[in-house]
Amino acid sequence: MNLLKKNNSQKDINLKHLTTSSTNSLPQKINPFNIRILTRDFFSNPLDTTLTVALIFISILGSVNILEWLIYKANWNIVTKNINLFIVGSYPKEYSWRPISWLLIILIISITTLYTNLFKSRRYLIWIIIIPLGIYLHSGGLGLKPLPTDIWGGLSLTLILTLSSGAIAFPLGILLALGKQSEITLVRFVCKIYIEVIRSLPLIAVLFFGQLLIPLFLPMEVEINRVSRAVLAFAIFAASYIAEDIRGGLQAIPKTQCEAAEALGLSKRQIFFQILLPQSIRTALPSLTNQAIGLLQNTSLMAILGLVELLGISRSLLANPEFIGLYLETYVWLAFIYWIICSIMSLLAKKLENELRINQAKE
Amino acid sequence: MFFSKKLILQFFSTIFITLVFFILLNNLIINLFRTDMMFDLGWLNQPSGFALSENSLPYNPTNSYLWTLLVGLSNSLKVIFFGLILSTIIGVIAGASRFSSNKLIRILSSYYVIVIRQIPLLLQLLFWYFVAFLNLSNTPLSILGNILTISNQGVRLLGIDISVEFSALLIGLTIFTGASIAEVVRGGINSVSIGQWEAFRSLGIKDSLGMKRIVIPQALPAILPGLTSQYLNLAKNSTLAIAVGYPDIYAISDTTITQTGRAIEGFTILLIIFLILNLIISFAMEVLNKIILSKVYKY
Amino acid sequence: METIITASKLSKSYSLGVKALNEVDLSVFSGEVVVLMGPSGSGKSTLIRTFNGLENIDTGELEVLGVRLGSFATEKNILRVRKKVGMVFQQFNLFPHLSILENVTLAQIKVQKVNKEKAEAKAMNLLKKMGIVEQANKYPNQLSGGQQQRVAIVRALALEPTLMLFDEPTSALDPERIKEVLDAMRDLAKQGMTMVVVTHEIGFAREVADRVVFMDKGKIIEESDPKSFFTAAKEERSRKFLNQMMQ
Repeated sequence: MNLLKKNNSQKDINLKHLTTSSTNSLPQKINPFNIRILTRDFFSNPLDTTLTVALIFISILGSVNILEWLIYKANWNIVTKNINLFIVGSYPKEYSWRPISWLLIILIISITTLYTNLFKSRRYLIWIIIIPLGIYLHSGGLGLKPLPTDIWGGLSLTLILTLSSGAIAFPLGILLALGKQSEITLVRFVCKIYIEVIRSLPLIAVLFFGQLLIPLFLPMEVEINRVSRAVLAFAIFAASYIAEDIRGGLQAIPKTQCEAAEALGLSKRQIFFQILLPQSIRTALPSLTNQAIGLLQNTSLMAILGLVELLGISRSLLANPEFIGLYLETYVWLAFIYWIICSIMSLLAKKLENELRINQAKE
Repeated sequence: MFFSKKLILQFFSTIFITLVFFILLNNLIINLFRTDMMFDLGWLNQPSGFALSENSLPYNPTNSYLWTLLVGLSNSLKVIFFGLILSTIIGVIAGASRFSSNKLIRILSSYYVIVIRQIPLLLQLLFWYFVAFLNLSNTPLSILGNILTISNQGVRLLGIDISVEFSALLIGLTIFTGASIAEVVRGGINSVSIGQWEAFRSLGIKDSLGMKRIVIPQALPAILPGLTSQYLNLAKNSTLAIAVGYPDIYAISDTTITQTGRAIEGFTILLIIFLILNLIISFAMEVLNKIILSKVYKY
Repeated sequence: METIITASKLSKSYSLGVKALNEVDLSVFSGEVVVLMGPSGSGKSTLIRTFNGLENIDTGELEVLGVRLGSFATEKNILRVRKKVGMVFQQFNLFPHLSILENVTLAQIKVQKVNKEKAEAKAMNLLKKMGIVEQANKYPNQLSGGQQQRVAIVRALALEPTLMLFDEPTSALDPERIKEVLDAMRDLAKQGMTMVVVTHEIGFAREVADRVVFMDKGKIIEESDPKSFFTAAKEERSRKFLNQMMQ
């Protein structure tokens, strides 16, 4: 998202080409500290000058205060003493290598995806395998000691929630988008109602009722744990938004594409999976990225419903008398973690977008 | 073939959907029967028995659950209404600032959007509540004479008392939604062709005036749909009120369900309320859209 | 003769080191019609846009109507110039949400602070002269391209400019609509308006221009009167360009 924005702001600046007040010329030729350009950008009239001076003053004052707080005043004990809890929650110490190694694997794969061309063709497969691997490492079984979901927590739970609900929501969203365009009236009707109803509900309500209602719709014998209920509820929620994004992408495809494909003698199914779906995903990618980042941020809502993911663990720490009142430190630390993950996600999305664009150019 | 392929497909998918539906319904009925909680709305008339920290309608704990829920709805509508107005103002200013001639303002407004969007809304609300408001001192801090006084007990604006919970929720929602609206506004302004800027500039019209008279009116058709979905988001996000202890419709439903155990009924009521709320906002925006378009494009 | 534009050694580059303007020297005198010609990307549009500050230059000196518009031009200076310089664009750029009359009166009312009645009277008068007075209460997209472009000319003239800039005013028009716009420009030239025109209309240049300036790759290649330019261009590149245009 970061990068997307940078791109957009480039566009704004392009627009400013026309004005009297922008630096749009060759960077190598013009010293950025050229007094003339500074004047043009910051002091072009008295109002501008006043604003600039006031803003610089406020910014400096603000930065000094913030730095002073970060370095001298803040009590970072709550972070340094509990770094374990933030990363893996109350996962037992002797087993915490399991979630930690999963997090490391994600980090390594993110970095190789971003900066190298290793396993380029099998990259999607690797990203898909990560999810069952994470669940296996967390819950155990097959040679690892089984551990219940209620001790999962911290960053690793946040990522489990995000990735697994995303992995369910994405295909479900595509199915819904497809269903909404189906020729079969009942299918179309059901998909439409589903999308409309879920989209009109607040996420916290979906999550709360997910906890309460999902067991009611299942046979008595089936026990479903809190984490799985949360994952299902997130997936149900996100799928309706993904469906609308994909549908938007489908609508953006010119009709001629369909006609051309029909003229080539492709079947309906082939047309959808080979022609329409890839194009619509490509078009919907920026909004899908936003959904993914939204999903990550929204996992924090589970803190209200009793899971100890990143925000949840912080809430229980803040209730501990040793760390009472350290709200600001905790929230700044959390904002920092979310910011880093969001940035990695937008970089990955940007990379994917570029790769799709290159493929498109090749086509 | 005797039956067309489409007909067969239609037949089987209908059977399949009906089957799934009945299995789910069957499970539900069995489960409800087992816990002796069959669908019933009689409890709505019983007194709720819990206190509310604030109420926009008259309220006391002997009132029925139905009335309590209505009080919650009115609390929600209050924060949504003010949130819509304030976030629109902030969003339009921040979005238009991206086109300011002052580079510093352009940078600051872009950072506002980036920072706000990288941090979960819930975290921001907790920040406003626990850090910004509850950290204030007991003794009221006066700003602008006596127009605005702030303390950790609440805000007093022109003699009207506003609770800390409401203030934190409103500020958090406004700043978060404002960032999204800023992006909508920026996109709308970008959709106006560069030729329009060149045209008014070459007539000697200043950017500020040209923005108001030429660019914004033409950007509106691109802005309004995005604005509608941001308003809908604001309405839905207002349910995070529960995190700062503001008794909105969701928080009250939550308490009601915990007390009565009526999850299915509570869910149905909340669903209907939000469907209506969505319809109202979408409808109002559609009317507004029509009015503005007919004013902007008179032909 | 009074100098309207003095440009010396104007240079401007976009990113990637492409020089849009490369040390351009040009003077335009009062009452003159100067036609800029050249292949696309030759810098002629960039040049004409620097004359009212729509583009700023990197280096060189530029003075328009006695106001300095160098690499560093204040907002005030640029506004001063724009009030006296009219511009007509390829894509007309009328304001689609304003009626024809509002298009013409907006800047008079807001920039020149003329009262509404006076501005409207003046607008109607100019529209009448241009033969489009019956369109006054319509909206731009109800008009043909030729009519829109004539409105654009009226919109610029309503501010009583000393200099008119035309950036390919007929390039976006249907062939049968070109004449009406060129006729309007011809009339304007006859009335003694100082004009700088970027165009590919050879007929117009031959008949109306006092001087033809040929540009290529950001440089002025040749500057001569239209007769000698179109019959015996001095430079190889000009001849090549003209040959292509004639075909």
